[in-house]
Amino acid sequence: METSDWNILLVDDEVEFISTLAERLELRGLPARVAYDGEAALKAVADNEPEIMVLDIMMPGIKGLEVLQRIKEEHPKIQVILLTGQGKTRDGIDGMRFGAFAYLMKPLDLEELIRTLHEARQGRQEDRK
Amino acid sequence: MNPVATEAKFMGTVTALSMHEMQNILAIIRESAGLMGDVLKINAQVDFKYRPKMEQTLEHITSQIDRGKKLLEATSRLAHSPDEDLLLSCDLNIYARTVALLSERQVRLKGARVNFTPAATPLPVAVGALMVLMAGYRAVQWAVNTHIKDGYVQINLQAGDTEHALIITPPVGLCPDVRLLDPASISLPGQNARTHWDGNKLFLFFPTQQAADHE
Repeated sequence: METSDWNILLVDDEVEFISTLAERLELRGLPARVAYDGEAALKAVADNEPEIMVLDIMMPGIKGLEVLQRIKEEHPKIQVILLTGQGKTRDGIDGMRFGAFAYLMKPLDLEELIRTLHEARQGRQEDRK
Repeated sequence: MNPVATEAKFMGTVTALSMHEMQNILAIIRESAGLMGDVLKINAQVDFKYRPKMEQTLEHITSQIDRGKKLLEATSRLAHSPDEDLLLSCDLNIYARTVALLSERQVRLKGARVNFTPAATPLPVAVGALMVLMAGYRAVQWAVNTHIKDGYVQINLQAGDTEHALIITPPVGLCPDVRLLDPASISLPGQNARTHWDGNKLFLFFPTQQAADHE
């Protein structure tokens, strides 16, 4: 499988978490850029539109759900996977209403994330047809 | 809002924020341990004296993270249970699982274990999440305090038209004094919630959301 052309953006204010996650994805042939807050995420999207964005809901500054709404208004093709807290399913459900592709709970299961990334990419390709 | 609800809400807000921090801590530990595991795998051909010990230690870390994740899920749900949107109704399926997770330690201290079987679909009830948790937790406490101290406390669910039930089955075999205890003494909030002990199982009945909507 050709994986080097992936364009993934990971967004979370927990620097150690998101940078380690990026390293682990890269080891699996899924290179990803990182942004550490909502504002940086919006800028990263404007500079180079990703196919898929993995976005934490709870961040200081612009909240994840607001980032999601703005992204979906301006870049509707980006597939957004939300990261929510345990026990806060409602946030995830709200996110789905705003157009998120899926929501996953932290701490993450890496295999589940990779599966969801593939599904999101598949969904994007089907949208194009 | 009554003062108890205000206090519960305060405790919930503070606990939920702390749990969010804990979730990030666990996430960092999980990814860091995962990266160490990745590095060991990539260098599988490099043999060194402590490789088995490192691999075993990483397994311990991973299993403890899984354990912490369950506890985190349950405590977060408890913390969020006084939220406005959960004060009057909730999904019994989700909160029965939460009761099971939160009860594990108290049951284990009595030498028994909890076994939870979820329902296949959501079971919306017209009772707040915090109240369901209180009733369910007290019912499990009753089950382990009044019955023999080994085996399983089974937690099941039963769907109905007007009521859904949370069913607690204590370990088999009763203590000699159990007949003196009245499971109906477990207080249940809400005018329509009720208990029933059939000699083997304790049923906590909650009115369905659908029935409440029709009233």
